[in-house]
Amino acid sequence: MSGFRLADGGRIDRRTKRNFTFDGKAQWGYAGDSLASALLAQGQMLFGRSFKYHRPRGILGAGVEEPNALVTVDRGPGRRTPNLRAPSVALHDGLVATSQNRFPTLKTDLIAVNNVFSAFFPAGFYNKTFMWPRAAWEKVYEPIIRRLAGLGDSPTTRDPDHYDATYAHCETLVVGAGPAGIAAALEAAASGGRVILIDEQEEIGGGALSDPAQWAWLGEATAKLAAMDHVTILPRTTAIGHYHQNFVVAAERLTDHLSVDEAEGAREKLWRIRAGEVVLAMGAIERPLVFEGNDVPGVMLASAARTFALRYGVAVGRKVVVMAVHDSGWRDALALHKAGVNIAAIVDLRRDIAPELVEAAREARIACHPGYAVTAVAGSQAVKGATIALAGVGKVQKLDCDAVLMAGGWTPTVHLWSHAKGSLRWDDNWGAFLPDKTHENLRCVGACAGAWDFGKGLAGGLLPAPKPLHESKAFVDFQNDVKARDIGLAVQEGFRSIEHIKRYTTNGMATDQGKTSNLNGLQIASGVLHRPVTEIGLTTFRPPYTPQSFGAILGHHKEALFQPLRKTVIDDWAEAQGAVYENVAQWRRARYFPKGSEDMDAAVARECRTVRSAVGVFDASTLGKIEVVGPDAAEFLNRMYTNPWKSLEPGRCRYGLLLGEHGFIIDDGVSARLAPDRFHLTTTTGGAARVLNMMEDYLQTEWSDLDVWLTSTTEQWAVIAVQGPKARRVIEPLVEGIDLSPEAFPHMSVREGKICGVDTRLFRVSFTGELGFEVNVPAEHGRMVWEAIWAEGEKHGAAAYGTETMHVLRAEKGFIIVGQDTDGTVTPDDAGLGWAVGKKKPDFVGKRSLARPDIVAPGRKQLVGLLTDDPQLVLEEGAQIVADPNQPVPMTMIGHVTSSYHSATLGRSIAMALVAGGRDRMGETLHIPMPDRTISAKVVTPMFYDAEGSRLNG
Amino acid sequence: MVEIAEVAVSAAELKLGAGPVAGAGVTLSHAGPPARYSLRARDAKVLSDVIGRALPGKIGDQTDGVICLGPDEFYAILPEGTVLPRGEGLAVSVTDVSSRALGLVLEGPAAISVLASGCPLDLASMKVGRATRTVFETVEIVVWRESEERWHVEVWRSFATWLWNAFVAAMPGAHG
Amino acid sequence: MLLIHCPYCEEARPEVEFVYGGEAHIARPVDPSTYSDEQWEEFLYIRSNPRGRHHERWRHTHGCGRFFNAVRDTVTDVFETTYKAGEARK
Repeated sequence: MSGFRLADGGRIDRRTKRNFTFDGKAQWGYAGDSLASALLAQGQMLFGRSFKYHRPRGILGAGVEEPNALVTVDRGPGRRTPNLRAPSVALHDGLVATSQNRFPTLKTDLIAVNNVFSAFFPAGFYNKTFMWPRAAWEKVYEPIIRRLAGLGDSPTTRDPDHYDATYAHCETLVVGAGPAGIAAALEAAASGGRVILIDEQEEIGGGALSDPAQWAWLGEATAKLAAMDHVTILPRTTAIGHYHQNFVVAAERLTDHLSVDEAEGAREKLWRIRAGEVVLAMGAIERPLVFEGNDVPGVMLASAARTFALRYGVAVGRKVVVMAVHDSGWRDALALHKAGVNIAAIVDLRRDIAPELVEAAREARIACHPGYAVTAVAGSQAVKGATIALAGVGKVQKLDCDAVLMAGGWTPTVHLWSHAKGSLRWDDNWGAFLPDKTHENLRCVGACAGAWDFGKGLAGGLLPAPKPLHESKAFVDFQNDVKARDIGLAVQEGFRSIEHIKRYTTNGMATDQGKTSNLNGLQIASGVLHRPVTEIGLTTFRPPYTPQSFGAILGHHKEALFQPLRKTVIDDWAEAQGAVYENVAQWRRARYFPKGSEDMDAAVARECRTVRSAVGVFDASTLGKIEVVGPDAAEFLNRMYTNPWKSLEPGRCRYGLLLGEHGFIIDDGVSARLAPDRFHLTTTTGGAARVLNMMEDYLQTEWSDLDVWLTSTTEQWAVIAVQGPKARRVIEPLVEGIDLSPEAFPHMSVREGKICGVDTRLFRVSFTGELGFEVNVPAEHGRMVWEAIWAEGEKHGAAAYGTETMHVLRAEKGFIIVGQDTDGTVTPDDAGLGWAVGKKKPDFVGKRSLARPDIVAPGRKQLVGLLTDDPQLVLEEGAQIVADPNQPVPMTMIGHVTSSYHSATLGRSIAMALVAGGRDRMGETLHIPMPDRTISAKVVTPMFYDAEGSRLNG
Repeated sequence: MVEIAEVAVSAAELKLGAGPVAGAGVTLSHAGPPARYSLRARDAKVLSDVIGRALPGKIGDQTDGVICLGPDEFYAILPEGTVLPRGEGLAVSVTDVSSRALGLVLEGPAAISVLASGCPLDLASMKVGRATRTVFETVEIVVWRESEERWHVEVWRSFATWLWNAFVAAMPGAHG
Repeated sequence: MLLIHCPYCEEARPEVEFVYGGEAHIARPVDPSTYSDEQWEEFLYIRSNPRGRHHERWRHTHGCGRFFNAVRDTVTDVFETTYKAGEARK
């Protein structure tokens, strides 16, 4: 035996060495090693410091249940991953791993003083201590606590890796590729259906990997599965969660097991699997025992020691003591002995042990101590001996050893079963919960179903001890530093439900989700409460089963692909002109077009003046558009909108106001009747999908007798608004087949014809108060037509304008923006749009609500204009309004500012506001208190420019 | 507070590829510009008579480029320049949406896996010739399996840039 | 992610294609003006919110586009059945 590496055995490749570093020190192992096995082989027992007390910690388990040995792996800039479990980190050349939560080094940790004062850190300590003063929390307590009690540091640079994702479908999904899982996969594959077999380990085999007797079978079965086209085998893949109807999400790690140079392509792949049947073969996890000193490095699960010896060829000690309350501890001891590990003694709390186990131990010359329990472990950074006592309280004996193995029975891994809302039943023999009933096509096989011959044993993990519970330093949850006595304290302080005990003590709330601590915690609570575990219940398992990278969850869709950014066909032109953008829903829209060194205010002022004095061109393509077609089209619109539609002549447009059934404004837009049975509707940019859905709803479910159909045409048409006194002159040379004269083509009408040789639906409409047209052309011609209009426009001094100028111009006219000047509680009358409600219409969506008592009551907030006494002061949108600025705080707020701009046209600021009883306050001065001063403003009609509408005709 | 660097490429910089992109076992390209129609009718027979074409009978079926999307809804992908009569006054809706969408084509043995990277349907079970409206992640698409290894994807114009790049990201060997 | 059987497409489709539409079988009155304020409030805002069997609407928005009704258990999320809009309550 060289170091702790056994002379032979294991699945490692002893011909291939792997060099790596741990905490900066050069180390080596073999291909096939895990980081944990390679370090153990070098005699490294200390792996980290604990979360709360900074106690030295070693390895507890050999798999994902590991709570202690959390490391950070650094694969270069942006590729640092904290909180990886050392037993699950595959060794590769150049691996750079560091321990966590120690300062400054693992061996001398200054914060370990927490441990000395641990009596002052009981359950609920943080909750009780750091409550006051409140202000100190953010500045003092939180930073210190974060420093003291933490896991690894999260990365601070961008992750340069690519992540893959896919949906997958199969008839049978098997989670867990131990013997039971492989058998289930073989059986399912024989029926010919698609099978996916996934396993979290480096290779499939599960528990069989730690049992050389099964290796021949394992090799054959694996080869057989691999040869079948309809079987997909995914090692290094963790089923994160089970969701409704057998939708299982799993993350495959593609490159982390390779050296940085070998790694190619995506780092991880997210599998979103829909399976006809799911078979869970997730095995079981051994339970630790709860005794004084059970967290000293070198105290670990018996099954872990077995895996290190038989799979990796590593002895966890030179003189090993097994503390068992279960037959499986004896079996592991004998297997370890056979593999060449020196088992010094087997201690078992039970007196009555299967004779064949005792006989086999005697034959192996292993000392047996039936009826004894370990009561203390010597050493702090490594085991230096153990004390055992008869029944924990009687005759004491000291054992010389450098490792203590714990065999506290097994906990079936039912996490995914629980995700699927499968019920659990308590099984006395297992001392654990087993799967019971489910409504999914889901079943458990093997150990996680309780179908595993694992011998007999005691259920409780708390060993009897000479000290009373409240003096014990026996740990239950290693990762969150929860002791048995913390659970006792929680019960003493009145917590009864396990859900409350869990949150108070934090037992089971660490990143390992209590894989090794839940059952022990439950049993201890049960003991203290003198109530059966079934009455205390089990906490809920939630996805993810193990911690998961955000990268895999995002898949391809990070950074530029995070979500679609919609651009119009004219967007490129705007970009070339140096437009500044804003996002509206998923669209990006040109906000303004600065020239030279103009800031936004200067650019918007110039754009506004140009529209009012000459002409402006605006990309309105994002407007929602719906084609409403069918014999009942007018009838349908008449029912949907507040105003009458049946009388609208073909060729004419109308402003439509759409309410919800609650009577509040939800959308508006100008729509045109193209033919008796065909309308071209427009909606707000953000409301397009919502309005279409709402209209479909009424059509399909309330008025399915109407012969009318809706088609979204938002993206069919590019829309170019040409607005200003010279608008007609700009488009005149480009338009064919449409008489543009004011007589033939009045305001609020539509004509079909040609512009620049392509089909157009030309609207004469205005959202600026100026003579205006909106040129609709098929999207692929939008850019061409825009450029032609722009070329004509330049002859007339045109400006391209953006959404900001559009907002100012419409505010000067008092036109509302739904969602800005309305907030879902504004009726047509509130908004001053009572004229748009058809008084004679018997019904329309929302009409009944307009007669509700609270809607007709006086004092409702109404849309008004505000003119600040200081004309250069621009109010803040959202600012609250009061009637009396001298009233005591808290003041009575009577409304708020909805829109506010500097108007270049008027040479002063303008604002719109919703004010209680606003229309009765005309001429009143109201007050807008701001942090540094109170601004006064006069209430006016929200119509600041050209009230008579003379400019519409150019 | 931790400062995170700007994204390497922002969504605003994504470009819609012009020519085909090849990955291992799959090519992404543009379908030619066809005429597209949204067709609706209470009685499919009336609609069929108006446009003078046979209509597929069941949702998901496709006949000569006309796809049955819903119980009263058809989507026609027809040769460029095709003009369908509107059937004025009849209980039908014939609406030209030629410019609304772009057609992308994924072709090759690995095409199905590129589509499966974001489409939740069991595509392997979709018969050749069938078509349906569905989603690719958050974006609505119409998928038409034109042949065993050729998939035609219709997507609204403004989502095409994102979809094109999302396809490229999922194509083995086509990204860095 | 739920798998929802669309009664129009006659196949089970992934939840992401659907949009939830609230409680089912709340018909808009033919003439709302005949409703008292209390009746109208009931229609607008009062929903059954049961623990267990719930009649609800879904729309296969990114599929066939149709609204339909479903009976879903709000505890288990299991769909008992789905049926076309206009069919009698199940």
